[in-house]
Amino acid sequence: MNKLTAIKLATVALIALAGTAASSAARLRVVATTPDLAALAREIGGSAVEVTALAKPTEDPHYVDAKPSHIVTLNRADVLIEGGAELELGWLPPLLESARNSKIGSTAPGRVVASQGIRMAEIPTTFDRSRGDVHSLGNPHFLIDPLSAKVVAANIATHFAQADPASAALYRANLASFMARIDAKLRQWEGQLAPFRGAKIVTYHKDFVYFASRFGLEVLETLEPKPGIAPSPAHLAQVIGAMKAANARVILVQPYQNRRTAETVARQTGARVLDIAQQPGARRNTTTYFDMMDYMVTTLATALRGG
Amino acid sequence: MNAQIAWEVMKWPLAACLLLPPLLAYLGLHVVKREVIFVDLALAQVATLGTCVALLMGYHFDDRVTFWISLAVTFVGAAFFSWSRSTRKSEVPQEAIIGITFVVAAAGVILLLSRVAGGKEELEHLLTGDILNVTKGEVGQRVVLFGALGAFYGAFHRKFALISSDPARAFAQGMRVRLWDFLFYAAFAIVVVSFVRIAGVLLTFAYLIVPAVCGVMLARRWIHQLVVGWATAAVASLLGLWASYQMDLPTGAAIVGTCGLMLAVVAVAATLRPRAPA
Ligand SMILES: [Zn+2]
Repeated sequence: MNKLTAIKLATVALIALAGTAASSAARLRVVATTPDLAALAREIGGSAVEVTALAKPTEDPHYVDAKPSHIVTLNRADVLIEGGAELELGWLPPLLESARNSKIGSTAPGRVVASQGIRMAEIPTTFDRSRGDVHSLGNPHFLIDPLSAKVVAANIATHFAQADPASAALYRANLASFMARIDAKLRQWEGQLAPFRGAKIVTYHKDFVYFASRFGLEVLETLEPKPGIAPSPAHLAQVIGAMKAANARVILVQPYQNRRTAETVARQTGARVLDIAQQPGARRNTTTYFDMMDYMVTTLATALRGG
Repeated sequence: MNAQIAWEVMKWPLAACLLLPPLLAYLGLHVVKREVIFVDLALAQVATLGTCVALLMGYHFDDRVTFWISLAVTFVGAAFFSWSRSTRKSEVPQEAIIGITFVVAAAGVILLLSRVAGGKEELEHLLTGDILNVTKGEVGQRVVLFGALGAFYGAFHRKFALISSDPARAFAQGMRVRLWDFLFYAAFAIVVVSFVRIAGVLLTFAYLIVPAVCGVMLARRWIHQLVVGWATAAVASLLGLWASYQMDLPTGAAIVGTCGLMLAVVAVAATLRPRAPA
C-alpha cells in the first residue's frame, strides 16, 4: 500500500465516520402543534425523529398562549405538522412569522397539513364571517377517528421521507406497522362501544363529532351555541329541554372547558358530567395514540353503562 | 437555546419595550400630577371596547379598520374626560366618573365578545396582548408615530404641565383649558390605542403608571422625574423580557411583574433616602 492510497483510505474512513456520527446525531426535528399530532409523528418517525408539541395536552388547541420557546422550537424545526382547517388560526400564524423558517413555509415539503385528505365534517354551507365560528372550514377535530389517524399518518410518512430520504425505509415500515395496529385496535374499540350504539351524548364543544360517527353514537347537543361562542342562558335552556326529551345521560367536558356550565345543565337534567381528554398526556399513562384511544373508549363505555 | 436565537426571537419585543415606553412614562407623569391615575386604565379599556366593536362588525383584529374604529371610540372617551373635568369643586369627583367609565367599558367588552367566536380567549388576549409576536413593521410605525406625538407634547410642554399641576392658575391666566385638555387627551388616545394593540391593557397601564410613580417618588423636577421613569421602564423591560425568555413565561405578564418589582425596589430606596428639596 503506497502512501497516497493510505491517505485516500483514511479520508474515506473519516468521511464515513463523520457521516454516521452526523446521521445519528442529526435526527429530524419535528414540531407538532398539538400532542395528538406529535404522538402520530413518534409512531412514524421512531428513533429517527425528535418530536416537540407546541400546545400542552390540557390546552385548548384553538387557543394556545404564545411563549418564547414556541418561536425557538419553530425556528429550528425541519418539519411542522399542523392540524389545519383553521384549528390553529388564532395562534400559529404570528408565531410562524416570528420564527422565520423557510423549511416549514406554507408550501415547503417540511410543512404537513393534517386536514389534507380528510373528508371534513360540518363544512358550513353559508360563509358569513361576522356571524362565524372557529370551525369556518369544517370541523377540525378529526384525529379521534382512527381512520382519520391513518390518513394523517400516511401523510406524515410521505413528508418525513421527503425531508429525510436516508430514513425513508424506516418511515415506510413504521407506517405499515401503525396501519396494522390501528386495524386490530379499531375492531376492539368498536366491540367495546357496540352495546351503546345510538346512545346520545352532549359535549361542550363540537369536538367528538368524528368519534361519535365512527362508533355509532349521537352528539345530541353542544353547550356552546356555536363552536367558540360562549354558552348563553337561552341556548342552555334549549339544551336542557332536548336532553330531557331524548334522555341523554352524559355530558363530556375537556380539561380546558368550563365544567361549571356542564354541572349546571347536569343538575337540571340528572345527567352526569364526564371529565374526558382527547390529547395524549392529559391523563396519566396516555402517551401514545393507542393509550389515548383506549382511555377514551373505556372511559366513555363505563360512563354509558352507568358506572 | 443559544444567544443568537434568543436575539432573533426577542429583538423586536425588546425594541418595542425600550423605544415606546418613554412617551408612555411622560404621559403617566401628567396623569399622576392630575391625580386621575385610572384615566389610563379607563382609556385603555375604552380602546379595547372600540376593538371589540370592530370584531363584532366582522373585522379582524389586525385589520386597519379595527384601528380606526378603536381610535374613534377612544376619542369619544377622551372628549368625555376633558368635558367632565372642571375647576369648580363638584359634588362628583372626576375619579368616580373615570371608575364608572372603566367598569362600563369592561362590561361592554364582555357583552360584545360574548357574541364573537372565541370571545373568552379574545378577552384574555386583549388584556395580556401579544408583545412577543410584535413585528418590525409594527414597531417601526409606532416609533414614527410616538416620535411625532412626543414632539407635539414637547413643543407645548409648558402649557400641558401647567394644566396638569395647577389647573386653577391656568384658568386664571385665561388659558383655554378645555381645548388644551382635549388636545392632551386626544393625543393620549392615539398613543394608548396604538400601544394597546401590540401590548394589551395590562402592559399599557403598567408602562404608563409605574415609571411615573417611581419618578415622583425619587425626584421633584419634571426632567428628573422623567429620567427616573425612563430608567425604571428600561430596567423593567430588560428584566421582564429576560425572565420571559429564560423561564418561558408569557412575555407581557412577565414585564408587568418586573414593573411591580421595580416599584417595590424604588419605594424602599425612596424611604431610605430622604427626598432632597427641589
Ligand atoms: Zn373546535
